[in-house]
Amino acid sequence: MKLYRRSLWVFHLNSGSCNGCDIEILNALAPRQDAERLGVKLVGSPRHADAILFTGPVTREALPSVVRAIQAVPEPKIVLAVGACACGGGIWHDSYCVLGGIQGLYRVLKSMGVAPPKTIYVPGCPPKPEAIIHGIMLARGLAGQRQARSEYFEEQGPAVKAEEDLHRLFHKCFPGRLPPKTARVEWGVTRY
Amino acid sequence: MNRIKVLLENLRRGVVTEQYPFKPIRVPERLRGKPVIDPDKCAGCGACVNACPPNALTMRDDKHSSMRFIVLFIGRCIYCGKCEEACPFGAIRLTREFELAAENREDLYQVVGLRLYHCPLCGEPFTTVRLIKRVVEALPEEQRAAATLCPRCRESVTAHYRSYARR
Amino acid sequence: MRSSGINQVRPRNKYELMIDLRRFGEPRLRGKYLFLSRIKSGRLRDLVDYLHWRLGGYYSTSIGVDERPLDGYFHVYHVFVLEEYGVYVLVDLIADPGHPVVESITPVVPAANWAEREIMDFIGVKFRGHPEPHRLILPDDWPENVYPLRKDYPYDDKLPTSDKIAKLVRESSPATWEPEAHGDHTVIPVGPYHPALHEPEYFELFVEGEKIVDARYKGFMVHRGIEKIAESRLSYNQVSFIAERICGICGFTHSTAYCQAVEEAAGIDVPERAEYIRSILLEIERIHSHFLWMGVAFHLLGYDTGFMIMWRLRESIMDLAEELTGSRKMYGANIVGGIRDKWDIRDDKAALIKRMLDEIREEYLKYIPKIISLEEIKKRTRGVGVLSRSDARKYSVLGPHARASGIKTDVRKYRPYAAYKYVNVEIPVLDDGDIYARMIVRHEEILASIDLIHRLLDNIPKTPLHADTSYIPERRHGIGCTEAPRGEDLHFVITGRDNKLYRWRPRAPTYNNLLSVPAMLREEYLADAPIIIASIDPCFSCTDHVVVVDLRSGRRRPLRTRGVVGGR
Repeated sequence: MKLYRRSLWVFHLNSGSCNGCDIEILNALAPRQDAERLGVKLVGSPRHADAILFTGPVTREALPSVVRAIQAVPEPKIVLAVGACACGGGIWHDSYCVLGGIQGLYRVLKSMGVAPPKTIYVPGCPPKPEAIIHGIMLARGLAGQRQARSEYFEEQGPAVKAEEDLHRLFHKCFPGRLPPKTARVEWGVTRY
Repeated sequence: MNRIKVLLENLRRGVVTEQYPFKPIRVPERLRGKPVIDPDKCAGCGACVNACPPNALTMRDDKHSSMRFIVLFIGRCIYCGKCEEACPFGAIRLTREFELAAENREDLYQVVGLRLYHCPLCGEPFTTVRLIKRVVEALPEEQRAAATLCPRCRESVTAHYRSYARR
Repeated sequence: MRSSGINQVRPRNKYELMIDLRRFGEPRLRGKYLFLSRIKSGRLRDLVDYLHWRLGGYYSTSIGVDERPLDGYFHVYHVFVLEEYGVYVLVDLIADPGHPVVESITPVVPAANWAEREIMDFIGVKFRGHPEPHRLILPDDWPENVYPLRKDYPYDDKLPTSDKIAKLVRESSPATWEPEAHGDHTVIPVGPYHPALHEPEYFELFVEGEKIVDARYKGFMVHRGIEKIAESRLSYNQVSFIAERICGICGFTHSTAYCQAVEEAAGIDVPERAEYIRSILLEIERIHSHFLWMGVAFHLLGYDTGFMIMWRLRESIMDLAEELTGSRKMYGANIVGGIRDKWDIRDDKAALIKRMLDEIREEYLKYIPKIISLEEIKKRTRGVGVLSRSDARKYSVLGPHARASGIKTDVRKYRPYAAYKYVNVEIPVLDDGDIYARMIVRHEEILASIDLIHRLLDNIPKTPLHADTSYIPERRHGIGCTEAPRGEDLHFVITGRDNKLYRWRPRAPTYNNLLSVPAMLREEYLADAPIIIASIDPCFSCTDHVVVVDLRSGRRRPLRTRGVVGGR
């Protein structure tokens, strides 16, 4: 990422978003959060760009133009997936005409034999312009990441003991019961 | 003439740009930022999973290790706050953090793993140990034993008792 | 009344209207909805002509519903708004699943063009007599007899993309459409899959030299399957969040219109405090949207300073929205029955709103009257892109676009909803129909909105924030209308079982307004095309990549402009 220490020319690519994230991107270039003082410039052609600001869950109809635009950006390139739709597919991640955000697009690229480029994810619905600027700073290597995967697994010992206590309570009150022989009922989703 | 007036207004206004990456900005107290699960309070009931519109919260039961995993993916979250309203224990809250950029998709996950509880009669894992413990502690003495069963077994046991009591 | 004949006396109220419409079919009046079913064969076009052209109503939209699980047929509802009588007339057509063909009303009402094509795409009902029965919304490679909105199609069945990708890998040239002939000349349009394209829609202009002869529009690349998702996996209160994300600028309007449609269908009474808060947030959204439009219009006219000034002023409104709701856009405040508890506006917030609005108004009045009276702006916008009143009626245009062409229409005044029932709303109407008139209409609306918020804040009552919505009956129809910044936004809802919807159809105002753009573009200069297209406010900036096709030489050259367009 040392390549981008001075300036970053970005190309804005909308693959079917609602325009909330796109307006926040343009807001980042408006006078109050002026991203241009940090070296960011919006260019009109993908051939001139260093980075792609990608918004939108990838819709089926916009897919070919998106693939061509990403292939047109010369190496080395970096993709910033802006918004909930680009990071994970958003609220319509499983719809019939949506590929599911940038992960779906990378699956398509892999099937064509193209390696997916380096990606930075900026979640938010829509992300504040300051959050987008933080993402750009991360791309340029000037800011640190604040998120980390967090996992918590319950301790087995106390939980197993609690389970056994409850079983003992039951067998004390209802000695000698056998499980019922009726068939299981499956609860399903209403489908017309 | 009007053009000059607009120019003079702009000059009078001065610099309006905020110093964001170099100085922190002020965020309002109602800002809806990143949701965080408190692992000690969470009981694995799944009310938040039911309420989440984009399925950012998902629940997966693993029978081999007897664990239930509640997975929060903030990449798909829409910051609506329905999970906070739905949780009966106050375990998930929306903080005011908005700087969420990450280089790896894996960094955007939070996983909470809780042990599954098996029914004493039929052995099916149907909920978590913590939830049953909290439910049993909240009930009066005489109903506690029947509450440790899964719904199917509970139906068969207590039906017998209800018909017994009617005589 | 005279005896039967063409010259009958007009009905005086909705009951007489119902009796009058008996000669066309079977009417049924339920509150504000007049259902007209079993239309006599051959009378449909007379009926539509009577409702739209002679009675003074206007056509709003058409909805197709797959009601085969309920009564075995496909239904097509045409919605007509008759403000004078205070009713919505729903013309209910039935199509047999074995042979689903009904008669088209587009020859009589050209505004029905797209709505009928959409029903052809999604439900599979054919319209006899439609002038251009081509595919509208689904992608070109979608298989032929697969109709997504039918009840037997699962919402998450993603078709494989391998064919599309194979085509991409094989082809090296950008043009993917066959050359078309237009008159004596051969026209080669640059297809939607162009490497330089970064917006997902485009217009095609046919020019001779510098004058535009005709225009064609192809879009709908933002189709995400919202209606199908809402029917399949979301409950009533979750749909208001997906409704908000239909558009990033007028999201709260969609959410309010949806909630109102369900409340109408179920007969829920919204408490007054919730209505006031909804109106205040709606007006804040209107101000922010008009500021955005003005900034973009100035940019397209070449005045970038104006763009920066307006977007700087807009920051104050976004700050205000963030203080009230917790997010700059996507307020997330609506549920069916009222407002969520945390989004209340107490006295300290009310004082803050008033103070910030006064500051915004003061700043705004320092700049805009001077900018609007600049000679360059006047010369580029006066007399350009004129839409006459009769054309405006023909295409059923809505919102500031219609008000600038002399049509007095505003949902807040004539069909009041939320807290507009309790306050008086002034609407500016001008007659010129050019771009300058549209700018002035929006400027006056901003000032009227600021004043309206002040009046609403003075009168907020103290009632609970939401009503009890534990029971929502099944199979009821409801229509919710709001005045979005771009026009009338109509949501049609049929309630279903198990806390879910049966059918939901949001119709954004740009849907009707875009049909009038070719009429405005004819006989205008090419350099004015971006600002003309942007003057209808198509949900963000002007539509994107405009391809210019020169009829005389047959060459095509792209006209580069920036911006993206929202869809549904």
